[in-house]
Amino acid sequence: MGLRWLPIATRKHLLNIGLCLLLIWGIYEATIGPDLVSNLRDFTGRYGAYLLLITLLFTPFSQRFTWVKRNLWMRRNIGVWGFVYAAAHLLIWITLEFYFDWALMFDEVAGNLFILLGILAFVLLTPLALTSNNRAVKYLSFRKWQLLHSLTYVAIPAVIVHHFMAQKTAVLEPLLMGSVLILVLVWRYRHAR
Amino acid sequence: MPVKSSEITPEKVYKRRRVLIGAGVGVLAVPLIDKAYGVFQDKQEQLEKPLSQVTTQPSAELEPLVPTPYETITSYNNYYEFGYGKGDPAKAAKTLVTSPWSVEVGGEGADKPGVYDIAELKGESAIENHIYRFRCVEAWSMVIPWNGIKLSDVIKSAAPNSKAKYVRFTTVNDPEQMPNADWAGGPYVEGLTIEEAMNPLTLLATGIYDKPLEQQNGAPIRLVVPWKYGFKYVKSIVKIELVEVMPKNTWWLQNKREYGFYANVNPQFDHPRWTQATERVIGELGRKPTLLFNGYAEEVAYMYPELDNRLYFY
Repeated sequence: MGLRWLPIATRKHLLNIGLCLLLIWGIYEATIGPDLVSNLRDFTGRYGAYLLLITLLFTPFSQRFTWVKRNLWMRRNIGVWGFVYAAAHLLIWITLEFYFDWALMFDEVAGNLFILLGILAFVLLTPLALTSNNRAVKYLSFRKWQLLHSLTYVAIPAVIVHHFMAQKTAVLEPLLMGSVLILVLVWRYRHAR
Repeated sequence: MPVKSSEITPEKVYKRRRVLIGAGVGVLAVPLIDKAYGVFQDKQEQLEKPLSQVTTQPSAELEPLVPTPYETITSYNNYYEFGYGKGDPAKAAKTLVTSPWSVEVGGEGADKPGVYDIAELKGESAIENHIYRFRCVEAWSMVIPWNGIKLSDVIKSAAPNSKAKYVRFTTVNDPEQMPNADWAGGPYVEGLTIEEAMNPLTLLATGIYDKPLEQQNGAPIRLVVPWKYGFKYVKSIVKIELVEVMPKNTWWLQNKREYGFYANVNPQFDHPRWTQATERVIGELGRKPTLLFNGYAEEVAYMYPELDNRLYFY
């Protein structure tokens, strides 16, 4: 990569700024057209799912590409931003879509696998986002931290299935995401120690 | 004193990041506030704009209906022949030539079949104006001031015989004019029972807000059945057939578990993947409860004696 001359801290900031700008751009785009609420909800959901799926690719790709291996640090930033997008997605749903009508929200969630999966994924991702810092790794010990973060292999499949179930007809994109996920899971299974 | 980038300590970077995040949130707020103000203003304008006289007001009105802004109705559409996105039809549909346009009325149930020009069809009966709720199966809704004719008038003039048990509608299907014409593997087909077709609420719409229909809204003529989900409102109709057998409608063929033939609005029967109990009013925040038969129960419930039969409600 052409950015190796930059200090790693600067590269981290560039990545963070980039993902923040992407969010701002998405929110701006969402204001075009009449349906602000579903635009915002769908943008944050879709791009959050992309970011989370990307975090799973780091381990397998780092075995083959030294560039990925040198930049493993990116996984944490991308994962945390994926969580930020997911949190925005949930907040939009609670505020703009349901306007804090908890009774209605409960009705919508009860027995609705599609939304339950989304909520499950968010609940599982929350401790991971909170422990995505060096202090938490030290506090927990690396082994325990790693065990905790293997929850991604439950949370991210839930995200992808949730994304798939949200589609009316255009299922090609979530199916592609699902295929990538399955390839990663198969790879992980075969390389498990 | 300006600080050189090489002198920045991690703490300062951290503080700077806070400023950046703050700035980011500020930038986020601008389009949102702007949009919210726009929604508010549109509503004001709609309230002030007088609409042409409504000839029949369905009795089930629970509250005065405030029509959705014209710009919203014409820019938020499902018309897959022009793309899957809600904004695609408004951009892509202009290639559809809607004049001249003729509609073939026929089928084994019509004793007097014929091909009518749009002007002939409209000329046979007076244009009526109806403000109807519009409820999409995707759980969003609008309020639309339609202009159109009664479907029953068109059917009567085709002299229906005893074989006329259902009405089958076909949308134009031309790959030259429609970039995604083949999405369903054939023309878009919808159907009604003859009883539903003869109901006075059922319209063949030719306009919205006293303006001719835009292509993305189904120009030049489309079905309006306000107690059913939006996918029943077949657009840009080229053929109306009176038939003996229940037509196989496009969405039913796409997914027989999720979309049926009757597709009457009922908050009690959820879509397999989402609730139909409430709806998002486009351009407003929050959700509101969905009404049985979309608020038109008084006018249409007689046709569906079994209110617990899912057959009628998906």
